[in-house]
Amino acid sequence: MRPALAIDSLRVTFDDFVALDDVSLAVAPGESFGLVGESGSGKSTLLRAVAGLAPVSGGTIEVDGKRLDGKRSKAFYRQVQMVFQDPYGSLHPRQTVDRLLLEPLAIHGFDDTERRIVRALDEVGLGPGFRFRYSHQLSGGQRQRVAIARALILEPSILLLDEPTSALDASVQAEVLNLLEEVRTARKLTFVMVSHDLAVVTHMCDRLMVMQNGREVELLTAADLASRNVGQDYTRSLLVASEGFRRSA
Amino acid sequence: MSALLEVEDLRVSFPTRAGVVEAVRGVSFTLGRERLGIVGESGSGKSQTGRAIMGLTAEHGQISARKLEFSGIDLLAVSKAGRRALRGNRIAMILQDPKYSLNPVMTIGRQIVETLHTHEKVSGTEARKRALDMLAAVQIRDPERVFGLYPHEVSGGMGQRAMIAMMLVAGPELLIADEPTSALDVTVQLEVLGILNRLVAERGMGLIFISHDLRLVSSFCDRVIVMYAGRIVEELQAGELAHARHPYTQGLLNCMPRIGADRHPLPVLDRKPEWAL
Repeated sequence: MRPALAIDSLRVTFDDFVALDDVSLAVAPGESFGLVGESGSGKSTLLRAVAGLAPVSGGTIEVDGKRLDGKRSKAFYRQVQMVFQDPYGSLHPRQTVDRLLLEPLAIHGFDDTERRIVRALDEVGLGPGFRFRYSHQLSGGQRQRVAIARALILEPSILLLDEPTSALDASVQAEVLNLLEEVRTARKLTFVMVSHDLAVVTHMCDRLMVMQNGREVELLTAADLASRNVGQDYTRSLLVASEGFRRSA
Repeated sequence: MSALLEVEDLRVSFPTRAGVVEAVRGVSFTLGRERLGIVGESGSGKSQTGRAIMGLTAEHGQISARKLEFSGIDLLAVSKAGRRALRGNRIAMILQDPKYSLNPVMTIGRQIVETLHTHEKVSGTEARKRALDMLAAVQIRDPERVFGLYPHEVSGGMGQRAMIAMMLVAGPELLIADEPTSALDVTVQLEVLGILNRLVAERGMGLIFISHDLRLVSSFCDRVIVMYAGRIVEELQAGELAHARHPYTQGLLNCMPRIGADRHPLPVLDRKPEWAL
């Protein structure tokens, strides 16, 4: 089967700094793929490179077998959408939810905007009461739901999720993760999800890549991780860290 | 154990255009030379509790309490100057993100020295020596180098160590740590907690550890207070987390994804209005 997203020896540099060095991966259609690592590991840079937000200096990115080069086409952004980490920073502060959701529809020339906006809000569990509010009138979890609705309203097939819940409370995180799983099943979406939290990634993803300093450390299945069947010391240290603090340590 | 801090019926409220917001509504606890965790979600009043003790509540906020005493000093009756003398000297606070809580236009060394000069009569050389010792105590390998660096020149973990050094250099008796490791990577988080753990134990300080992460707090503290909507809903010995009785505490524990547990969908918190009563 042709992968939904194929990346081959991707390299991203910012001046002299190598943010991403020779990273390759393939994500099957409908798969949920995770990227884990600490700050500076290049996990977000990889997502941004796919979305056309980071300068690629080597390697190839293919979506559905089509090679991406330079500026992304409009069609690409219909197919691939991104949800960012900070719902406080990623929504326009002076636009209502209605306006926020209308923007992508207008850009891509969708008709029937009224019905689509109502349905998008309904799908993320917000209801019509939220339609004419501003983002500052919403809680963090509600904002992230709006960001998800905005990504889904173009009916993409691939969703790039950059730490979608790390700015949220644990209980709200659970709600948003459940929502993401629901829409993935309902729409047969492909997910590429970045997180620093191993537990979140194993919960959400079938396979994951552990990254460090812009390079791949290892590729694992969620089951491998659950059974502690890992090959690299770095992954093991992440596992230990995810278990919390120990006095004797 | 003599009480270092006694809090009885602490209330913090903020008048707003839409009416009075009660952020903290009757919180009581006593603290000895131990580690107390305060856990809750955003808006639970955990940070405002810490700020009220520290005397950092916003100007328009109203604080009341039947008792707010720090080693016999009535914190509500103390003058502003008296508060300043306590703050940073006998009570210190570590904030969440070193990127924002350190002064960006002052070297790390000067900031630590400034704390010393504010509270003690020390010579320049001695202050410098004590700052360097403190930087070494938070396991910074090359204190001389870090002393002369600006906050933007160091990593988050290093910045937070510098913050801890700055807060401990005057030898406080009570340390309030408000989400001290939330902005750090998990592996760095453990290192910083390890350092904090050792210093608190060595110096016999009282510690209030404020965090949203129930599990982290319970692994670090002796006792945990769980807050919801400005009130304490449950108080637990850290080891007894598994026996938490309040549905909110149980819900907080349950809703976290766990490695190896296959729970789809995750249980979500069903907030009952009576919890906030």
